[in-house]
Amino acid sequence: MSLAQGPGRAGGNSGTSSDQELHVLKHVAYIKNLDTRKDELQYWLTEHLRLNGVYWGLTALHLLGHPDALPRQETIDFVLSCQSENGGFGAAPGHDAHMLYTVSAVQILVIIDAVDELEKSGRGGKEKVGSFIAGLQNQNDGSFMGDQWGETDTRFLYGAFNALSLLGLLDMVDVAKAVTYIQSCENFDGAYGISPGTESHSGQVFTCIGALSIAGRLDLVNKDRLGAWLSERQVDNGGFNGRPEKLVDACYTWWVGSSLAMIDRLDWIDRKKLSEYVLQCQDPEAGGFADRPGNMVDVYHTHFGLAGLSLLGVVDGLEEVDPVYCMPKSVIARCFAR
Amino acid sequence: MEGKYANDPEWASITPIQLDDGSEKAMPLATIAYPSEYLEATSYLRAVMAANEMSERALKLTEHVISMNPAHYTVWIYRAKILFALNKDLLDELAWLNGVSLKYLKNYQIWHHRQVLLESRTHFPNIPEKELDFLMEMFAQDSKNYHVWTYRHWLVRRFNLWDLPREIEDVESLIKADVRNNSAWNHRYMLRFGPRSEKAGMENSGFNGVLPHQKGVCSVVDEDLVDAELQYAKEQILRAPENRSPWWYARGVLRAAGRGVQDWEEFAGKFVVEGEVRSSHAVEFLADVYALKEGRGEKAVEMLTLLKERYDPIRKNYWDYRIQQVVV
Repeated sequence: MSLAQGPGRAGGNSGTSSDQELHVLKHVAYIKNLDTRKDELQYWLTEHLRLNGVYWGLTALHLLGHPDALPRQETIDFVLSCQSENGGFGAAPGHDAHMLYTVSAVQILVIIDAVDELEKSGRGGKEKVGSFIAGLQNQNDGSFMGDQWGETDTRFLYGAFNALSLLGLLDMVDVAKAVTYIQSCENFDGAYGISPGTESHSGQVFTCIGALSIAGRLDLVNKDRLGAWLSERQVDNGGFNGRPEKLVDACYTWWVGSSLAMIDRLDWIDRKKLSEYVLQCQDPEAGGFADRPGNMVDVYHTHFGLAGLSLLGVVDGLEEVDPVYCMPKSVIARCFAR
Repeated sequence: MEGKYANDPEWASITPIQLDDGSEKAMPLATIAYPSEYLEATSYLRAVMAANEMSERALKLTEHVISMNPAHYTVWIYRAKILFALNKDLLDELAWLNGVSLKYLKNYQIWHHRQVLLESRTHFPNIPEKELDFLMEMFAQDSKNYHVWTYRHWLVRRFNLWDLPREIEDVESLIKADVRNNSAWNHRYMLRFGPRSEKAGMENSGFNGVLPHQKGVCSVVDEDLVDAELQYAKEQILRAPENRSPWWYARGVLRAAGRGVQDWEEFAGKFVVEGEVRSSHAVEFLADVYALKEGRGEKAVEMLTLLKERYDPIRKNYWDYRIQQVVV
């Protein structure tokens, strides 16, 4: 799955579009074609994101109603080829295992209903994956590291909760301690940062609220205060920024929107105006979404743009997305029905 | 294979390990077409990493790979291990890292690498002399760079810089240059009111059983400092009344000091005079003040209605919710 930008631009060749139609088939074709672009420089420069890229592309295709557009067996083979001896997954074959790719691997396998493959052809069953993740929890404060090298970030904590709960293994970690850690990331403005004491950022709000949601501890959140901060991220053109006085970006439709949905405050923003903004970020000719109208499209913004649109429910033609897991709702329902 | 390393006698003893990306098993999702220079360098990297080789040549190789792809997270881990194993001069490493950081502004690995180096109490019993100068150089490129601010907060805790005059001076010069720099305002808040104990984060935030109204409230405050901070916020608001950061900073300060928003009724009122509103944040402030006062509910609703209809209509539903909450 290539993470290279382009070829198209949001708004198409003219760079502007008042077109308010969602070009489903164009986006499907765009994602399917990503894999044929291996002769491009950016393909290998983004190798460290490869497994994330498959998750983004695959989820987008499911939301677009084309779940079979990627070959299932080859997807499984690729995911398993990224697994290390320790049970974790690297970004691509031969890369060290890391939390972020391990989470993507689990999400992909859950989406295509192939968790059993871990037992059959992986390096041990799901418990092996679970023990890799659990081994990354800091015993002193409950936070999670990305790998054995110790970078700590609320993204990793959320990722751990996401993957472990999908595997039914959340009891492998100290949930209560991790919850306390998240609380220490709350700031005076009611939102959350990447670690205690750092500036509030809507991407980190998503990770903190997502983790609290999985832990069943949303009661710890001051929803009115956080909702006020989140809804304030919407600017006049309808889009969201990630922090005060920063530029709008289509991907914040997801980070801010899903957080508002999790605390039941999504109706505090203008959904119609936001949807219109996101649709302006699509390339109606070659498919894909960009961060802003006129910019180059990429699979990351395509995934989060579509997930955001699905969440808002203004545009027809998309499967429903789960705000906590950023996966199709039907997949989450199937996973937890077991 | 032909290339820089294949033709170098220094590397003759190494058998490069080619990437097994499964392409022979026909996996279209994974096959990667590498330009040859990167392909060769990473094949040698895999070989020396597999042997856990701690050498000068391996160090140089990591630099080469990083120069082509600084987001390759594995190579950074290996580089740090070599630096410590060979007991290299870490100030030289920082000097090199400065250049890489200025070139790749949005990279996570670079900042974690820096943190790994400075975590070593053996090598850095004190903060390196030029460290804060370099961070200001980074802020000159992007004064809201999230990685750099996160690192700076870590640095304050690591070297106990809370009361270092330079720390607050840098914050002030950044706010002077851009009063809307919310990152600088957050850093200021942590310097002034963040707990200095092991427990990081806002006061009272990371404890079980803390009631919402206790969060961010300091048990002991220097009242003179609080007054000075509120005065500072007022001065910055006068520069740009529609800037949210100092308004929210003031709320944070009032809360930390256990004072209420009503302390600012008069100040906020200056921005909302009959027929002229100079700051929507002042309108919101007044709404909060009135909502707390008995018999002033109607005034609160009036303020919230102004926000809903004139100053922030995009959040109409939010303001409607706030109006419903007011007891008239």
